[in-house]
Amino acid sequence: MSETQTSAITAESNPFRNGLWRQNPVFVMVLGMCPTLAITNSVRNAISMGLATTFVMVASYGMISAIRKLIPKQVRIATFIAVIACAVTVVDFLVKAISIPVYLALGAYIPLIVSNCLTLERAEAYACKQPVLKSMLDGLGMGLGFAFALTCLGMVREVLGAGTFLGVPIFGAHFEPWVLFLLPPGGFISLAMWLLSFAWWKERSLKKAEQEAAAPQLAAPVEVRS
Amino acid sequence: MSDALIPAPGQQNPHAPSAANSFRMVRLLGTVSLMCGVLIVGTNLVTRERIRTNQETIMRDSVAELLPGVKKQLAYSIAPDGSLTLLNGMSGSASEPGAQRFFAGYDATGKLTGVVIEAGERGYADVISALCSYSPATQTITGFKVVDMRETPGLGDRVRSDPNFLDNFRQLDARLENGKPAHPITTVKHGTKKNPWEIDAISGATISSRAVGRMLQKTVEHITPVILKNLDRIERGQ
Repeated sequence: MSETQTSAITAESNPFRNGLWRQNPVFVMVLGMCPTLAITNSVRNAISMGLATTFVMVASYGMISAIRKLIPKQVRIATFIAVIACAVTVVDFLVKAISIPVYLALGAYIPLIVSNCLTLERAEAYACKQPVLKSMLDGLGMGLGFAFALTCLGMVREVLGAGTFLGVPIFGAHFEPWVLFLLPPGGFISLAMWLLSFAWWKERSLKKAEQEAAAPQLAAPVEVRS
Repeated sequence: MSDALIPAPGQQNPHAPSAANSFRMVRLLGTVSLMCGVLIVGTNLVTRERIRTNQETIMRDSVAELLPGVKKQLAYSIAPDGSLTLLNGMSGSASEPGAQRFFAGYDATGKLTGVVIEAGERGYADVISALCSYSPATQTITGFKVVDMRETPGLGDRVRSDPNFLDNFRQLDARLENGKPAHPITTVKHGTKKNPWEIDAISGATISSRAVGRMLQKTVEHITPVILKNLDRIERGQ
């Protein structure tokens, strides 16, 4: 059977893998572009931002899902925003308590998780319709998928733009960093490169699946299989 | 979350809009807000002490970096009218708006080795916040450290790390004459520094370099006179 169909079934039943890979918020859904472009100039920032967003999504989707039957349709967005904003404020305190340098690096972007369209989109599309555990798994998958994508971008930008990985120099003294990659245009360029490679990979696997689906039909009358 | 709030699987919310729903909406939003409020206040209570210690540690480390050999540190605040207050703890915020903080460092024998002053000035992208160490004995600026900034990577952000630029602040003349700076601290073009009160700018980062110069000039103009006036008190740690 073609791989796309089988994984479509797993995606339905496995919200975690769905968010992490199949419907990756950045590479597939292209959501939450503001932090994706702004905060990925180092791997450490990218990971911290990804984990902060993951925490917000898991906590708020758990709460939203638990009260989903009580939320009148007319005020659902207001309720989601209140719950998400609460989770973000909690994260804000926690990051400050864990590490002030990380807090300074993330700057205004932690409060802005509230307005990240990814968090609201999943609340509206998933958490307000699904049971608590599944919603939290969806939040975890989507959040980690977001963290993964941010880290991919952060890796390219930090390695090329600063010549370091997680702050450790990797090219030696003779490397002249491509500062462009740390600046906003570098964010767009690396995002475009990642989107391009994902699209190419997707197309290739689709073609492969098509070929595989077509081949047995032609071969069926002659081929004998156990 | 209590189990009673989780409905049985398979049930669908009718989402039927009606006038009777208004009260339900208000009640729900009120309850959600109340819960969120309790959660936020709770987290604040739990993390408050830890955040305070973190901020204090960061401040202490920065002061120790600028004043090597310091064993004891005290924080002071200068009100806009020029009055001096000893703050309680390193992270104590300045009590009045417009007040400015500085930290006094003492060696093992309790002798004042220098002060570290908080300074800030608008740079190219945003405000550059920094600390500078000042020696009241020689009336010179002896060190400079950027705390937070958003300057352009590779250009403006070299004010944080460029060794040649930081060499400017080993012995930067900040003498006062009759309570006024003897020479204004000025930023000059790269390679043209002649006097001990001039800052040799980073080529390609003129705006950020000038911001550092202005920030130090303001400090020398407004803060160091107060420090020198109250030097007895600061030396006694009161």
